Amino acid sequence: MKNSTSVERRSERELVVSRTFNAPARLVFEAWTKPELLKRWWVPKSFGMSFVACELDVRIGGGYRFEFGHEASKPMAFFGRYLEVTPPSRLVWTNDESVDGSVTTVTFEDRGGTTLVVMHELYPSKEALDATLAGMEGGMPETFAQLDELLVTLGGSG
Amino acid sequence: MTLTGMKKHVGVLEQAGLVTTQKIGRVRTCSLGLRRLEEEAAWIERYRQLWDARFDALDTVVEELKRQDRIGARKKRERGYP
Repeated sequence: MKNSTSVERRSERELVVSRTFNAPARLVFEAWTKPELLKRWWVPKSFGMSFVACELDVRIGGGYRFEFGHEASKPMAFFGRYLEVTPPSRLVWTNDESVDGSVTTVTFEDRGGTTLVVMHELYPSKEALDATLAGMEGGMPETFAQLDELLVTLGGSG
Repeated sequence: MTLTGMKKHVGVLEQAGLVTTQKIGRVRTCSLGLRRLEEEAAWIERYRQLWDARFDALDTVVEELKRQDRIGARKKRERGYP
């Protein structure tokens, strides 16, 4: 059975995303810290985008860089630095692509075979969090999915 | 409730974006800022959908790791490791 994902705005500056996984924490942690694994889920097929670059240097002070996009469009880049790395229970990183970027803390809580993942994002201001959420409006995944459908329709009728 | 108390309450609601107020002369009119609340709920739902899609894909990766882990453990046993 599929586990559910919840999102809660805990304060003006905090968003919390959580979900349980049916696997021990060390395996879930592995999937967040190995580029070849992270690549396979961070941008799922339904986003209609693919990775151009995925580099992780998972250690305190190490950097990461993700670039992904939709075919011809210029890829979007996301980058930052790891502030804390505690296998297999905790990761903290910065989001440096914008001054409004959050500091993200992910905890992996092993509950005997299952793992509760809690991702906590702390934004520099209320406005920064609002802007991130508002950015979801007309969000890219759906937009691109719709574009794909449209292209299929156009191609099919042509 | 005192007028000062009321002002404080309205101030909190206003800060949270739940009401908007407008003062004309001695009268301050409050109106519900419900639209913003609904808008925010919709934004949060979109964000949830994004992470839900990501985590569904993560589920697939994690299931695969679990399988490999089991095979690895079995091979170790077969080779006589503890």
